[in-house]
Amino acid sequence: MNNEKSADSSVKETLCVACDRNISTVFDRFEAMQPECGFGQLGVCCRNCVMGPCRIGPFGEGAKEGICGANADTIAARNLVRMIAGGAAAHSDHGRDVAHTLLATSEGKTEGYAIKGKEKLFDLAKELNIKTENRKIEEIAHDVAEKCFAEFGQQYGELQFTKRAPKKRQEIWRKNKLTPRGIDREVVEIMHRTHIGVDNDYENLIQQGMRASLSDGWGGSMIATDLQDILFGSPTPVRSVSNLGVLKEDEVNIIVHGHEPTLSDVIVTASQDKELLELAKSYGAKGINLAGICCTANEILMRRGIPIAGNFLQQELAIITGAVEVFITDVQCVMPSLGKIAGCFHTKVVSTSPKAKFPGVEHIEFSEEEALPIAKKIVRLAIENYKNRKKELVNIPKEKMELIAGFTSEYVFKMLGGKYRATYRPLNDAIISGRLRGAVGIVGCNNPKVKHDWAHIELTKELIKNDVLVVTTGCSAIASAKAGLLLPEAAKKYAGKGLQEICEAVGCPPVLHMGSCVDISRILTTLCNVITEGGLGEDISDLPVAAAAPEWMSEKAVSIGFYAVVSGIYTVLGLPLPVMGGKNLTEYLTNDIENTVGGKFAFEPDPLKAAKLIIEHLNKKRELLKLKPMMYTK
Amino acid sequence: MKKVYCDVSKCLGCRSCEIACAVEHSKSKTLFLAIKEEPLPINRRKVQAVDEIIISNACHHCEEAPCISACMSGAMYKAPDGSTQHDEEKCVGCWMCIMVCPFAAISRQTKLALKCDLCKDRTEGPVCVISCPTKSLVIKEVQK
Amino acid sequence: MNYVIIGASAAGISAIESIRETDKNGKITIVSDEDYPIYSRCLLSYYLAGTISEEKLKYRDDDFYKKNNVNAILGKKVELVLPDKKVKLSDSTIVPFDKLLIATGSRSKTEKIPGVQLEGVLGLRNIEDAKKIEVRLDKTKTAVMLGGGLIGLRAAYALHKRGVKVTVVVKSKHVLSQILDEEGASFIQKEMEKQGIKILTGLSATEIVGNKDVNGVVLENGEKIDCEIVVIGKGVQANTELVKGTDIKTERGIIVDDELKTTVSDIYSAGDVAQTSDLITGEKTINALWPNAVIQGKIAGLNMAGKNIKYDGSLAMNSVEFFGLPTISYGITKPKGEGYEFIVKKKYKKFVLKNNKIVGFVLVGDIDNAGVYGSLLRKKIDISSVKNKLLENNFNFAKILPLIKEHKDKFFEKEYDEVFAEQINAVKR
Repeated sequence: MNNEKSADSSVKETLCVACDRNISTVFDRFEAMQPECGFGQLGVCCRNCVMGPCRIGPFGEGAKEGICGANADTIAARNLVRMIAGGAAAHSDHGRDVAHTLLATSEGKTEGYAIKGKEKLFDLAKELNIKTENRKIEEIAHDVAEKCFAEFGQQYGELQFTKRAPKKRQEIWRKNKLTPRGIDREVVEIMHRTHIGVDNDYENLIQQGMRASLSDGWGGSMIATDLQDILFGSPTPVRSVSNLGVLKEDEVNIIVHGHEPTLSDVIVTASQDKELLELAKSYGAKGINLAGICCTANEILMRRGIPIAGNFLQQELAIITGAVEVFITDVQCVMPSLGKIAGCFHTKVVSTSPKAKFPGVEHIEFSEEEALPIAKKIVRLAIENYKNRKKELVNIPKEKMELIAGFTSEYVFKMLGGKYRATYRPLNDAIISGRLRGAVGIVGCNNPKVKHDWAHIELTKELIKNDVLVVTTGCSAIASAKAGLLLPEAAKKYAGKGLQEICEAVGCPPVLHMGSCVDISRILTTLCNVITEGGLGEDISDLPVAAAAPEWMSEKAVSIGFYAVVSGIYTVLGLPLPVMGGKNLTEYLTNDIENTVGGKFAFEPDPLKAAKLIIEHLNKKRELLKLKPMMYTK
Repeated sequence: MKKVYCDVSKCLGCRSCEIACAVEHSKSKTLFLAIKEEPLPINRRKVQAVDEIIISNACHHCEEAPCISACMSGAMYKAPDGSTQHDEEKCVGCWMCIMVCPFAAISRQTKLALKCDLCKDRTEGPVCVISCPTKSLVIKEVQK
Repeated sequence: MNYVIIGASAAGISAIESIRETDKNGKITIVSDEDYPIYSRCLLSYYLAGTISEEKLKYRDDDFYKKNNVNAILGKKVELVLPDKKVKLSDSTIVPFDKLLIATGSRSKTEKIPGVQLEGVLGLRNIEDAKKIEVRLDKTKTAVMLGGGLIGLRAAYALHKRGVKVTVVVKSKHVLSQILDEEGASFIQKEMEKQGIKILTGLSATEIVGNKDVNGVVLENGEKIDCEIVVIGKGVQANTELVKGTDIKTERGIIVDDELKTTVSDIYSAGDVAQTSDLITGEKTINALWPNAVIQGKIAGLNMAGKNIKYDGSLAMNSVEFFGLPTISYGITKPKGEGYEFIVKKKYKKFVLKNNKIVGFVLVGDIDNAGVYGSLLRKKIDISSVKNKLLENNFNFAKILPLIKEHKDKFFEKEYDEVFAEQINAVKR
């Protein structure tokens, strides 16, 4: 029964424990929700005003238009761009928080942060035209933070980081009125346009959706990534471990889940405090064991090597191991069921963000001004809770897998060229010469509609088998980590000959973990660097690259999918966008849109078929660039 | 006899039929009041799915109705029009009917079995048919 | 045609309806030793508990016999079935017949222990029993049930509801040992004990004591329980006495074939008195249950009226609810011998399988899909493709649609056809 639910055997084990104790998890709630409403799935249910709610029957029976007169394309488009608004808002608001933290830190108002990424600070200052000579670090950081902050409230002009894109790409955006003017403005305009009786033209609605997605990818997310690098240091390759087996029977276990390293990074510092370690030992624990779930896990993994306990669908299971003293949450992808589940164990779930409270959960509000003391307080809470752990309820699965993470757009320079000749040349040459077919970013969430982790792993394996370099972020990266794909050894096992040679030469895995979901902006920056290096066309849409989100579920994923497409990248989704009830809209998104932005969507649930689509696409781009034929795999 | 059929190729699982059925069998017969009643009204029609098929399932008013043979209080009976009806006054909640219904179309309230009555008290006919947005539910004369 | 029916309970009444459906004009006479309006004896414990009034015991309206043009001879017992198509009543009246249905049912078995004839030692088989118990309730503080079967427990529940302190004495290891496995029974047992009903297992009573009125029961371990009522629920035995001396073959009951004919032509039998084939084992057995009697009576009636309907056999099936915990047992729940597979879910569902076919199941708590499981059992469907879904919380009728499609020949009832809507599509176009 449980076999079908996940490709990860730790999940099956823990679900058995849950079943025995009558604890319902996301998997049970998913079954109980079937069948799901077809109107919702098709995107043709509209609740934007109280003349409705309206539904448009897809079989030609019943209502053919909403009460206001909107047809299926309009309704589906309105719903879709509101999803982009939700997703972009989440990413951008995260970026805003980081900018605030950097600003406050530069003014000496915070406790627990430092400006670790000095090189990146200088790079960014240069890019933003901020004077760096003879200035204190704090002053430079202050100005950088302020300029980034300003992007949020900007009303006119162009977001700064869009200028990283190749000139041709910028022109495409300008020509089609897609260049984002201000981060908050684009989201607000979506809300306005989707109000009843405003924008009823699906193409026009999508245009605003695309613009808003760019305000995320080349705006909020990029700000988040870069300012996080400045505060917490740019990641470099790091070894660590993943899966529920990282929890320890004889240590105080703390899990941090959510998205903002402004919280999790300080928790890392607090968990390594000597006094607190002593306190833990006095309670009989051998130490304090911190592990992460979802994107915040990726953040502290990339920079500080902290182990990952699991991805999205495993968050409840981590508690069900019975071995977690405190489960800290901030924002995004946190299931409201955690409080109830923790109630069956000694585990304390602690929420920290004023924006994210949950029923039945203790709230210890986090602030940057008192970051370290609050973090220490939470760690102390965990230590005090250690004695309440019930041995008979502890079931830590043995699954644990090593990984290497920490790849960034900056590191690729060093990795390929060495310290003294940092360059992208080898990467471009590998693609040009046919050793590498191209590169694909596999990203995104888990979804119980797809066997957990299975589609991520199958797609990844199939692509690297065909000499495609895979970069990965988010829950997808965690899936690959648990399957052992983030190790150099995986090249020998699964990769095609060309990719194997690269991995051997460089010493890297065939799948490169580039961070959290906001770090998809790293992928964008990397692509810009590839173009700049030369020989592979002039625009991102010329490159033999693609993106895939095989198990996506969130609105953030919709925003990401859009900014990928609008940046000229062919994007394959494992579940369709909820638009199939709007036939013209669906056709537009999977076909015509390519004529405008050079990228489009494809919906394919079978990972092997998806791989085929991607490989065909990469081959097509190679042909157009007149690149050499593939060296090894056809 | 006319009864309600579900065309599974058209059912989208929106459950409007469930809500309409429950409201029709409530005391107040309006949605906003029905949701506050005690006990809450129970829908006799249930939307269920397997693989790709979704079906809106309720009493099939079987020609040879096993529930009638099983009912030990005589509460289940065949009405003159051929539909299977249930006299709630006579029901003692023994659940023999549930034990034999091959469509699991009978629900339980405390000590009372409940099932589709084809909205016999409603002149306009079964409310699920009217509420179905894809016209998957239709009322038709039974073929002999 | 002159139809005579002996016995006016489930089988007899059902036969009247099916005869009339086919033969509007034949003469129907019914003889019953009870002179009450047609009632369902299954409801007696509800009546005793005070849940329903005597009026509600009625199974058919008061004008049933008139409406169906039946000559009802009530309050008289049929003593003997005579050769040359006659029956003799207790008052020596002779009633001739063309077709005879023996539906005399069964009576409570008595315990063969001293004291069983004392006042206040009763069964719970008919209205008279129920009334006798009721009359004693005023002076009853404690009651003892002998037997942990359905009668014993139902009576216990009823009297407990009337405020009597109840002890149930069970010979087996656990209650309902005929129909439930130990784990399934444990839920009922625990709940009853929690509610204050005392249950003693692995014990028999050796003597009932008292001075004309019962005042106690002595157990085999020497313990004495004071009480003012003893209810005996030790099973039933078929009322076959009236066929003594005839060629009608009997064993535990009257042996009938698959058309409910006895070994003597034109004589049929149905209900608790008839020994039919068991649907699963094929052996001749009596599954003394109301639904079985109703269906047997119906088929016997149709066949008496000239049809040739086959009866595919009876099944053991029971549904009971105590203190809000519904329980259903169906088919073979305690198999003996080899070759059985069990799949069990805690709290509580248990399936007994043989060769990937369901031969029995027990459900406690969540009984809603019993009829679906039952249909798979009756039709002897290979359930390999849904084996791992049977226990899931979200199991429902739709989950067997693929099986219905695959085994169209076995799911032949027209209602199954209608599910796949081919007819609707055809009509629409």
